[in-house]
Amino acid sequence: MSSRFAALEDVIRDPLFPDVDLALRRGRHIDREDGDSYAFLSDAQTHLEPLYRRFGCELVMQSDGYFYLLPSGDHLSRRHLSPGEMLVGQTLALQSLDPTTVQTGGVVTRDQLLARLGSLVSDRDLARALEPRRKRFDDERKVHEIIRNRVAQAIRQLAALGFIDLVDQDHLRLRAPLFRFADPVRTRQDLNAALERLIASGHAVDMQGEEFTGDDDEPSESADIDAGDDADEDEDDA
Amino acid sequence: MIGSAPEDPHRLLAGLTRDRVSLELSTLDICFLAALHLQAERDGLASLDEELLLNLFEQVSDLVDPSLENRQVRATHAIQRLRSQRMLARVDATGIISAGEYSLTRLGMLIVQSFLEQEQLTRESLSLLMGAVTSSLAQIRARAERISDPSEWQTAIVGPLRVTVGDLVAGIERRQRGLDMQQEEVRKQISTLLQVEWFNVIEGCQTLLETMAKTLRELNEVLLRDSSHIQTLLQEIQHAAVTAGATEAEQAAQRVTDHVARMEAWGRSRQQGWSNYYQYVHRFLRDVVRLDPDRAISQRLVEQIRSWPERPFAFVVAADSCIRLLRPMKAMEYRPPVSRPRGEWEQDPAIVAADESPLQLESLVLAALKHRPRTLATLTTEIIAQLSDSERYTAIGRIAAVVARVRAPLLDRERPWVPVSPSFIIEDWMLERPDPQ
Repeated sequence: MSSRFAALEDVIRDPLFPDVDLALRRGRHIDREDGDSYAFLSDAQTHLEPLYRRFGCELVMQSDGYFYLLPSGDHLSRRHLSPGEMLVGQTLALQSLDPTTVQTGGVVTRDQLLARLGSLVSDRDLARALEPRRKRFDDERKVHEIIRNRVAQAIRQLAALGFIDLVDQDHLRLRAPLFRFADPVRTRQDLNAALERLIASGHAVDMQGEEFTGDDDEPSESADIDAGDDADEDEDDA
Repeated sequence: MIGSAPEDPHRLLAGLTRDRVSLELSTLDICFLAALHLQAERDGLASLDEELLLNLFEQVSDLVDPSLENRQVRATHAIQRLRSQRMLARVDATGIISAGEYSLTRLGMLIVQSFLEQEQLTRESLSLLMGAVTSSLAQIRARAERISDPSEWQTAIVGPLRVTVGDLVAGIERRQRGLDMQQEEVRKQISTLLQVEWFNVIEGCQTLLETMAKTLRELNEVLLRDSSHIQTLLQEIQHAAVTAGATEAEQAAQRVTDHVARMEAWGRSRQQGWSNYYQYVHRFLRDVVRLDPDRAISQRLVEQIRSWPERPFAFVVAADSCIRLLRPMKAMEYRPPVSRPRGEWEQDPAIVAADESPLQLESLVLAALKHRPRTLATLTTEIIAQLSDSERYTAIGRIAAVVARVRAPLLDRERPWVPVSPSFIIEDWMLERPDPQ
């Protein structure tokens, strides 16, 4: 048991508790760069784990040096990441493993991200994954617009979840929680088997056959994009 | 120069544009310049004769482009090009009558030095330069305290602040830029080493990081220690200048103060920046390189991303919505509803008797005027006697109006107020001239 907190009461009385608790409940990943919050969680981990278990959650601490809350019951709301967040998150994780990012101290530009994403998945497949409800992807300009909008949206969401920092309009700083996107390939296990294990443990969900409706996205932007798409669909049909 | 007042940048840029300043240097030109500099340094020459220049060009051509032809002509053109771009100056002043003597200009020297000499800040060079700045400032302060003649401020204070101290501080800043370049180089080196060697260079990367961190830490210590002493000396010089009313000296001291503050800020920011980088690289070495010595995770992650559209999955995160803070309760004020009184608004028209009193009054006035009353008061008294008390007030005004319309009153300077009944008095008008008899 840590020496800093003798009992759960001490943890709750700590001035950091409300902010850290709210951040965890909103899905934020807290890593070493969060300084005091990370130190607080490290010290209070033994007291907080049983507390969150009572809410049907697991306080996960990864060896890469970050914490997050994983809801397993119905007491606390949960969601799964959108296709945009998943694709952008995995690509950023790949970049964080790349030694070329060491020169910039883990800072990458949006253009680098888009270029890397484009080299891994074709534009049309990417647009189809990001906008599953859309039927036609003939217009190249529209495809690029979908990718740009959804990637920008995903970047904002990933920053809110603590995976990255937005340095400025063009630059993103990669953080340790991005390694979560590499969890399925950490072991030498087959990818499908590793995914089954993650899905069974509640860390991930299988989206095969599931049509993502974009309900988890930011309401305003997704509404705008959808409205535009519908209009285009109508034009196409006409 | 650090201590001199900054000139208007727009004017300076306009001057450069007007003169069409430009620099065009090939690899051959730069190597030629470097050869001239190295030859002068080695032999301790103040100037170089034309024959030596031609020989050096020959040697440089052999090195840079052995296939070069017409070397004599090309050498002449190269010398002319460097002279026209103010990198080489003829110093013998004999014109074209004999072979010339040449030396590198300041611009030429700076270009060569920037390529050949990587001046970097070290603990030793920084301590030495900071010590020289402190010593110069102490002398300037001592002089400032002794000055009795105001004209001495220019030569004894402003000049040394601009030249001696200014050059020393500029020397430190130049070396700071050198160190910045070295840092950039180390970052590039670490990145390249990792790309090429990956797991085998962990020790090498850590050594590079440690060396640079140690250098920056030491430099920051020297900067913090000496700059406070320098700032104190500058404040004392500035105070003396303010007391003596020497504005130029005060401004020169202020400019040096600003530069010293900038140096301090540089030290702090670079140490902080390197500290962040140091942590990042250590984390990378620990979490990525050590855990993935054969870079298999990257390859598997690429495959995971490529297959994601066919086998999509998503991670689960908590998504508790924000606590809704209700607005503070406020008692509602009673606002009566907008309504109109109940009742019948539309009423049937009713027959009412016409008010003919004005017409009757007019006929009474006209009839009374036939008797040629002398004054308005006489006429009014006669008419209102026939009316009830309630009608008299309005009738008095109407009588006056009818009289004024049908008969022009004779105006007197003094119009007396005359009673027409026990209750009313009026301003009287003369209607008929009194009979002279």
